[in-house]
Amino acid sequence: MNENEHDTTLNLKCKLGMKSILPIFRCLNSLERNIEKCKIFTRSDKCKVVIQFFYRHGIKRTHNICFEESQPLQVIFDKNVCTNTLMIQPRLLADAIVLFTSSQEEVTLAVTPLNFCLKSSNEESMDLSNAVYSEMFVGSDDFDFFQIGMNTEITFCFKELKGILTFSEVTHAPISIYFDFPGKPLALSIDDMLVEANFILATLADEPSRASSPQSLCLSQKRKRSDLIKKKAGKNVTGQTLECISRKAAPRRIYPKETLTNISALENCGSPGMKRANGDISEVSESSVSNTEEVPGSRCLRKFSCMFFGAVSSDQQEHFNHPFDSLARASDSEEDMNNGRFSLS
Amino acid sequence: MKFRGKIVDGACLNHFTRISNMIAKLAKTCTLRISPDKLNFILCDKLANGGVSMWCELEQENFFSEFQMEGFSAENNEIYLELTSENLSRALKTAQNARALKIKLTNKHFPCLTVSVELFSMSSSTRIATHDIPIKVIPRKLWKDLQEPMVPDPDVSIYLPVLKTMKSVVEKMKNISSHLVVEANRDGELNLKIETELVCVTTHFKDLGNPPLASESTSQDRNPEHMAEVHIDIRKLLQFLAGQQVNPTKALCNIVTNKMVHFHLLHEDVSLQYFIPALS
Repeated sequence: MNENEHDTTLNLKCKLGMKSILPIFRCLNSLERNIEKCKIFTRSDKCKVVIQFFYRHGIKRTHNICFEESQPLQVIFDKNVCTNTLMIQPRLLADAIVLFTSSQEEVTLAVTPLNFCLKSSNEESMDLSNAVYSEMFVGSDDFDFFQIGMNTEITFCFKELKGILTFSEVTHAPISIYFDFPGKPLALSIDDMLVEANFILATLADEPSRASSPQSLCLSQKRKRSDLIKKKAGKNVTGQTLECISRKAAPRRIYPKETLTNISALENCGSPGMKRANGDISEVSESSVSNTEEVPGSRCLRKFSCMFFGAVSSDQQEHFNHPFDSLARASDSEEDMNNGRFSLS
Repeated sequence: MKFRGKIVDGACLNHFTRISNMIAKLAKTCTLRISPDKLNFILCDKLANGGVSMWCELEQENFFSEFQMEGFSAENNEIYLELTSENLSRALKTAQNARALKIKLTNKHFPCLTVSVELFSMSSSTRIATHDIPIKVIPRKLWKDLQEPMVPDPDVSIYLPVLKTMKSVVEKMKNISSHLVVEANRDGELNLKIETELVCVTTHFKDLGNPPLASESTSQDRNPEHMAEVHIDIRKLLQFLAGQQVNPTKALCNIVTNKMVHFHLLHEDVSLQYFIPALS
């Protein structure tokens, strides 16, 4: 965010509580009817974000919200090299979502070069004989873009998908889905005129040694970038919300060794401040946000700030002795949550 | 045992979905009885249900364009299945704008009722959603408990007022007391009464009309204004009323003094009977 008055560019990464922001923008109808202008700026001396609404007749309403500086985690993931790419109107996927109950934790996506299937995760329906097993087939013709490099079945968190689809119905752009094999992350991308959002979800790894049903933790970080506003006003407005962080899991498995060296290269890129958490994962704070489209293979991954860690089988867990704070529920008690916490600030 | 049916008409599909939603609101678990001409949703009056019982009947011809079934045996050509009602109503939710619905009995790992919905799609390929609803097949020896309940001769039989109005009245009354008195007479008057130490509230419905009684003899020696009453648990009545999303074609109520109240609704061609026993 920039300081308006001095016209200097400052990079501020901060967190704002959703509970603080949501009530301010609650009544959309009344906002659209009565408000002439809305101004958002920061007062970094007071650690506040100020949102001002200018009504008719000279009435002004001001909200001051404290922010916390944060160093968001980044993940190295290039959606453009994924073997499988789909683009579909969110409405069609939303229809499929109706099939599943909210008690369902995971959902499986199965693709072949000819069709697409969204179904209840096998893990769950086998355990509970009372659960309904649902599946929905969508023909490749219903997609705006359908390119499948290999037959795949991936399983990921249903709640996250539901949330993402709810979000996408607000924009009218199609959703793009990028994925590979089980275990590798899945990216859902929405690119509207005003908003670009990328969600990276963890997928269950296909380990034959898996005994019980692991949980897939989905961590996503949404990010909006207002290109239009930037071009017009010459200001760079970004906001980030970091939703949840992992537990100890598979960064090492998802990212091959060479990726870690990329991170050190990024370090040299001039990004301010970086933390290493016991060698398990690196956290790179973003350098200034650029306006350009992401170049495949680009080292400075500005568009993706997200993270996710796939659930791992129990034999992998001894590799990781430094779990992160988990905001997602893990039902396995063998997770050692007391071994230190990963700090973000 | 086999069963397969197909619904292709949009109106029939919506009606079937509405019935299924109603059943889901009335009974968490219910029995589905499949016979060559009818489908029944049954809740029998076990203690677990609080003594409430339900019998819903529909003619399969009015819904299914294709219907084939093979029951337990030639003499007992019926199938009794136990299922969680909500599973069925949720599966049918996808069928709102469907081209066709197929429902059949399958055995995938365990016995299921497979509901398969063919959705409209803009392109040539169809979208098919399938749901496997787990069910339990009810053994033959338990069938006798699941027969149509006998309706004793009522003391008063009266048409019900608009159910929505009744429901909002009962909802408010529930906050005051859980003990409700339902009384009605042959003069078209129905009262709902609650009594506590502090307050008595009565709601009077007038000019409701009475259906002709089967037994004419009793009607001679009874004063038409004489009220027949029954004390019931208000929550059971509320659950029944909450299940009625659409106003029925016909609704009447039979009261057997101090024994039970029997509601008989007709939703177009689907008949629903609901029995609430008196509080002991």
